[in-house]
Amino acid sequence: MRLGRISKAVGVAAAAAIALSACAGNSGGTTPTTAAAASKQGGSATVVEVNAFNTFNPNTADGNTDINSKVSYATHSGFFYIDNKLNVVRNEKFGKMEKVSDDPLTVKYTINDGVKWSDGTPVTAADLVLQWAAFSGYYNDADADGKTGTSYFSYAGDPTGIALTDFPELGDDGRSMTLKYSKPFADWEIAIGGPGIDIPAHVLAKKAGLADTKAFIDLLKGMPRGDSKAPKPANAQLKAMSDLWNTGFDTKTLPADPSLYLSNGPFIVKSVNQDQSLTMVKNKDYNWGPEAQLDEITVRYIGEAPAQVQALKNGEADIIAPQASADTVEQLKALESQGVKVDVGNQLAYDHIDLNYSGPFAEKNVREAFMKAVPRTDIVDKIVKKLDPNAAPLDSQLFVPDQAPYAESAKNNGSSAYQGVDIEGAKKLLNGATPEVRIMYNKDNPNRVDAYSLISESATKAGFKIVDGGLGKSDWGKALGDGSYDATIFGWSNSGVGVSGVPQIFKSGNDSNFNQFSNPEADKLMDELIVTTDKSKQDGLVAQIDKMIWDSAYGLPLFQSVGVDAYSDRITGVKYMPNQTGVWWNFWEWAQK
Amino acid sequence: MAEDASRISAAAGIEPVLEAKGLSQGQIVRKRFLGHSGAIIGLIVFAFIFVLAFTSVGYLGIPGWWKYTHTQVSPLVNGGEPTSSLWPLAWGEHPFGQDRIGRDLFAMTMRGAQQSITIMIVIGLIAGLIGVVVGAISGYFRGWAEAILMRLTDVIIIIPALLLAAVMAQLAGRRDQGSWFASFASTNGVLALGIFLGLISWVALARLMRGEFLSLREREFVDAARISGASNARIIFKHILPNAVGVLIVNVTLTMSAAILTETALSYLGVGVKAPDTSLGLLISQNQQAFATRPWLFWFPGLFIVLICLSINFIGDGLRDAFDPRQKKFNAKKAKDHGGPAVQASAATGLDRPEPEEFRPDGPGHDGPWHDGPSDGTRDQ
Amino acid sequence: MVTYIFRRLVTAALILLGASYFVYLLTAASGDPLEEFRANPSPQKQQLMDARTELLQLDTPAPLRYFKWFGGAVQCLVPFANSCDLGKNIAGQPITEALGNALIQTLTLVTAATVLAILIGITLGIITALRQYSTLDYGVTFMAFLFFSLPIFWVAVLLKEFGAIGFNNFLRNPDVPLPAALGIGVVVGAVTAVAAGGPMRRRLLAGAVAFAFVTAVLIYFSATEWFKTPGLGPVVIAIAGAGIAFAVTLLSAGLKNRKALQSALIAVGVGVVLYFLLQPLLNEATFVMIVVLAIAFVLIGMGIGYLMGGYDRGQSMRAAAITSFLVGFLILLDRYMQAWPSYFNNSRVRGRPIATIGASTPNIQGDFWVLGLDSFTHLILPTLALILISLASYTRFTRASMLEIMNMDYIRTARAKGLSERTVIMRHAFRNALIPIATIVAFDIGALIGGAVITETVFSVRGMGFLFLDGIAHVDPNPVMGVFICVAITAMVFNLIADLAYSALDPRVRVKA
Repeated sequence: MRLGRISKAVGVAAAAAIALSACAGNSGGTTPTTAAAASKQGGSATVVEVNAFNTFNPNTADGNTDINSKVSYATHSGFFYIDNKLNVVRNEKFGKMEKVSDDPLTVKYTINDGVKWSDGTPVTAADLVLQWAAFSGYYNDADADGKTGTSYFSYAGDPTGIALTDFPELGDDGRSMTLKYSKPFADWEIAIGGPGIDIPAHVLAKKAGLADTKAFIDLLKGMPRGDSKAPKPANAQLKAMSDLWNTGFDTKTLPADPSLYLSNGPFIVKSVNQDQSLTMVKNKDYNWGPEAQLDEITVRYIGEAPAQVQALKNGEADIIAPQASADTVEQLKALESQGVKVDVGNQLAYDHIDLNYSGPFAEKNVREAFMKAVPRTDIVDKIVKKLDPNAAPLDSQLFVPDQAPYAESAKNNGSSAYQGVDIEGAKKLLNGATPEVRIMYNKDNPNRVDAYSLISESATKAGFKIVDGGLGKSDWGKALGDGSYDATIFGWSNSGVGVSGVPQIFKSGNDSNFNQFSNPEADKLMDELIVTTDKSKQDGLVAQIDKMIWDSAYGLPLFQSVGVDAYSDRITGVKYMPNQTGVWWNFWEWAQK
Repeated sequence: MAEDASRISAAAGIEPVLEAKGLSQGQIVRKRFLGHSGAIIGLIVFAFIFVLAFTSVGYLGIPGWWKYTHTQVSPLVNGGEPTSSLWPLAWGEHPFGQDRIGRDLFAMTMRGAQQSITIMIVIGLIAGLIGVVVGAISGYFRGWAEAILMRLTDVIIIIPALLLAAVMAQLAGRRDQGSWFASFASTNGVLALGIFLGLISWVALARLMRGEFLSLREREFVDAARISGASNARIIFKHILPNAVGVLIVNVTLTMSAAILTETALSYLGVGVKAPDTSLGLLISQNQQAFATRPWLFWFPGLFIVLICLSINFIGDGLRDAFDPRQKKFNAKKAKDHGGPAVQASAATGLDRPEPEEFRPDGPGHDGPWHDGPSDGTRDQ
Repeated sequence: MVTYIFRRLVTAALILLGASYFVYLLTAASGDPLEEFRANPSPQKQQLMDARTELLQLDTPAPLRYFKWFGGAVQCLVPFANSCDLGKNIAGQPITEALGNALIQTLTLVTAATVLAILIGITLGIITALRQYSTLDYGVTFMAFLFFSLPIFWVAVLLKEFGAIGFNNFLRNPDVPLPAALGIGVVVGAVTAVAAGGPMRRRLLAGAVAFAFVTAVLIYFSATEWFKTPGLGPVVIAIAGAGIAFAVTLLSAGLKNRKALQSALIAVGVGVVLYFLLQPLLNEATFVMIVVLAIAFVLIGMGIGYLMGGYDRGQSMRAAAITSFLVGFLILLDRYMQAWPSYFNNSRVRGRPIATIGASTPNIQGDFWVLGLDSFTHLILPTLALILISLASYTRFTRASMLEIMNMDYIRTARAKGLSERTVIMRHAFRNALIPIATIVAFDIGALIGGAVITETVFSVRGMGFLFLDGIAHVDPNPVMGVFICVAITAMVFNLIADLAYSALDPRVRVKA
């Protein structure tokens, strides 16, 4: 749950890979869609969230819960946002983000005149510089143990891309900034400047005792890049600002000081009722981007899916996105007669069973036999079919069905050999052997438990001796890759579709390569992959790697996770979104009937 | 208490207790218990469930007569709906239905009932045993033993059961990393949970037993035994314990019925029994979302929890009435009909044992089995 | 006495110290605080883990970390220093702050439930004891055990489905069809017949009257859409008040005491007159005003009783004061009902008043009455759920206690003296039966603070239970310790109070210094 920002980045990484019509390279910028004309302006909606709001800065390690990111998303604007097809949509009304040159990669950001914070101060390059300083970790000079040096901004996201830049060049009008990357970086579009410029530099500067944003820029400009090998004494003013950035925005109630919750987006927070609800009202000044239909959005916190459904049924909530289960979906579907609309869709995650390349599975024959005995269709039918009638077993380790290359790759990668259960085939491959297989999974996740039960039932028929190696929720993660099991069922939350995710999981010796898959040829292809910027070439490479993985009898992907959201007949304009932003992605299109 | 029983008399509003004539305590108790219809029904229902649960799906490797086991997956019949029907009376392939992957709910419910009953009995045994020992030692010997043991109970009583269960669940989730205890806990999750809960639920019993011992040790018959040279052990086991056994049994029963609910609550909170093993509490908490869509998954295990709990409560209630000579059939109407003063004060003494003239620092030892001390969290569960 | 209390407090402090150390270690051992990052393939994984490690100070082993926590917690004992530091939770909120909020949430949730459960439980316990082994006794016993046996999340889900969603749907068009009215009437009639006691004829008569009354009222309500615009009005208040006057007099003084009955009836009359006088004042109501008015009503009642005098002035005063207070309560109820339409049609409520979650409607605006109704509609379901499951303990305990007392010698003596059954029960038996119950109540109040973990979860109330559970889920000892300390201290203090109260109420029990 505390992965808001990261998953957003992951989602975008997915976007980079998904070859949809106007993919990332197209900088023309799609104009934001406007809401259906039929619905009227004004009105209010109540959205249910699981976690309680606790900070106005969703970028910190402690603050990046999904709810904080969502509130920030609704109250801030930036150069782009991500739509439910995982496209990066530019917001030209906010400002312009343009790639000036490819080599070295140089990006220029210009904020339009008239874009301002809710206290009237214009949004300027200083705000961008602040975000850059925080996201890049440029000034940090703490060593790995944290014993020497200073770590200023505690940023939860991935700094690797933005860390390739040096102090930006600033325009004279104070509204533009140019970033130069020392190496090409595929995800430059989403590195900075959106979906929200969320922390105002002038507030931070003032609170740290600086005269204005100019003094702030001068201070940062004057400081060199932090070097953990030669740490310097901490800069008191930057430290004061970063401390404020790290914890100063944490609050469970509405701060008395309005500068701590400034907005530059469609909404502004009006009240926060600790652990109960949060209310946002329309930001009157806002006209630099998609404008909201609703006057007011209230967020309420409900932990459990059944309670969420009942709250929707009772009219206490208008929009919910409970954890999907067959029963929840069925219950929601039953409410359709009352006008409730239900959207079911895929999420950027999938469950899979991986076989270790050691122990009983050291031999390929045994792995293949096991794979033949995994009842994938049965698992899908029983676990996800009720949620999503179109669900089918996932046939690629690297693509998901939403991606164009999926069909082609699935056809050629050899997955066709594992469509149905083939107990006889498995027996033949085993040739009378009865290997003992310990399967590790998270006992506290019902989907995994059920998948285990089905696999164990079927594999036993083929002659395997299955040992239940399920662990509790606090232990299974630690056990990954420790060799105490022979096969494991778990999910990749990053969907493996981002290019940079591929080597993480499949390259020899990498941290997340838990089953020790190793193929020198595939390693080479992966090295090539991460420096390839051409999408179609990338797809070709990924398809090749996919085939190698299947050929080596790696294990099986089982199914893609399913998400659901539902909203009452009072509200229109809600659309399903696979990533962590969820229904919020187009909150401006929500309208009351 | 025992010797009082024979002195029960027929007073106003009190039905003559003919049963007490020339009968031993055991006989009186049995007779009274058998006369308590609620308790008898409870006993029959419980016995039925017990036999059904332990014979149907097998136990400890012994196979049962039911065709499925709780882990066995079979093709979905009838979309998983129960196949049993009342009219025409039929049992069918899956009388209680199936869960989403096709496990037989009857087998699962029976397995769950086994586990819940196991937990209950383990808790009853352990809590009873420790409670008696601690209560007896502190009540009989007093002094520093009492001081230490009672402070220990004070410490344990304020430690939240939920936290202990969470630690327990954590240990049971591990396999072979960690100590022998962890490995025991992971292979015998249910047993370990029962032991663990037993180790924390003895405190209320210990206090009650201490109260009983405190008052009984001052009685004449104990003095008599002591004078005649009986050892402490003999006094405790032969003279005092039999007299305190009523309070003990009643409260153990009620601790047991509370234990089932505690297990349910813990499973609901995700720190109880873990899948793929199952318990009644786990079954209904897993299936609570199915409440509106596949209600059988929710109702059958729920029904068994309620039945077990109800029957145990009634058995406990019956035992309480049977063991407590002070609780006679009092009848206000009859009292009035007698015209009030019609008291046959034949031998109505010795009944009203005053509370011991001593202050119990840990609260009066009322025999409120319902009240298990402040922070054990069972009240809400 | 003072030495005794002092000794108890010192022991309590030592126990707390030991237990808190133990709890801290247990929490720290209860899981892997970094679990959520383990299966995360992000390159930031290590940094996130480091941040969490630093936040929870995981590099200090738990047995030593406790003393760091203890160093902060001890400062809470320094009065007025405002240096209390119980650490922070994972979200970076100071525990002291989180506790403050959670405590309010929990207390609003459980207070009414506990008070009502105690009142209803004791009443039922006494009635079942007086009618031991009657149908009523068996019925109540069965129901009490049944509710006790139900898992609370089950009860909660059912209550939400029928009590909130179903009832709100009903309110949209509050029309009770005739069969339903008859059905409800039959049920109420049957219950009344069972509860009434006495010879069969009397029971049947009571049942029939109840049936006719309930059915008629329901049909009337349905015809006049009473559920949309409820209210009592002076006539109903007068009639109900007269009933109250008789009942109160019966219990407190006996109907033979004419002066007491007259005082009570006069109090009802005064109440009805005040009903008209108070309406404009009540439009401006505040909480303080309601309290002042409640006191005023009691004083008026006492005044009436004093003026009526009689052979037992005290009895008259008591009867009139209680009656007057209850009539005042009826007036309050009526005023709330008057506010119902405006609450019902409030744009935030939108005609679905009974809530399934939370403690109030977000952003609701309105006067004292509307806000009061809002709390009421949010609290009613969790309160009901808590009452149902905790009723059993009070009922059974009171019954046992009462039965024991009813067999005591002094009760027999009281009867032998020729005292009326009312006096015997109310004066001799009831009061003594209350002694052990008083101690349980004290214990339960101590346990109240701990919150109702599951009820809070199901009804989305973020109180103490939620804080505790969340702390365990994140293997974060600070909130767990915060809740634990609060619960343990209140439990211990109330334990002490219970013991002192016991010795004060029961002269046979002495405090041993």
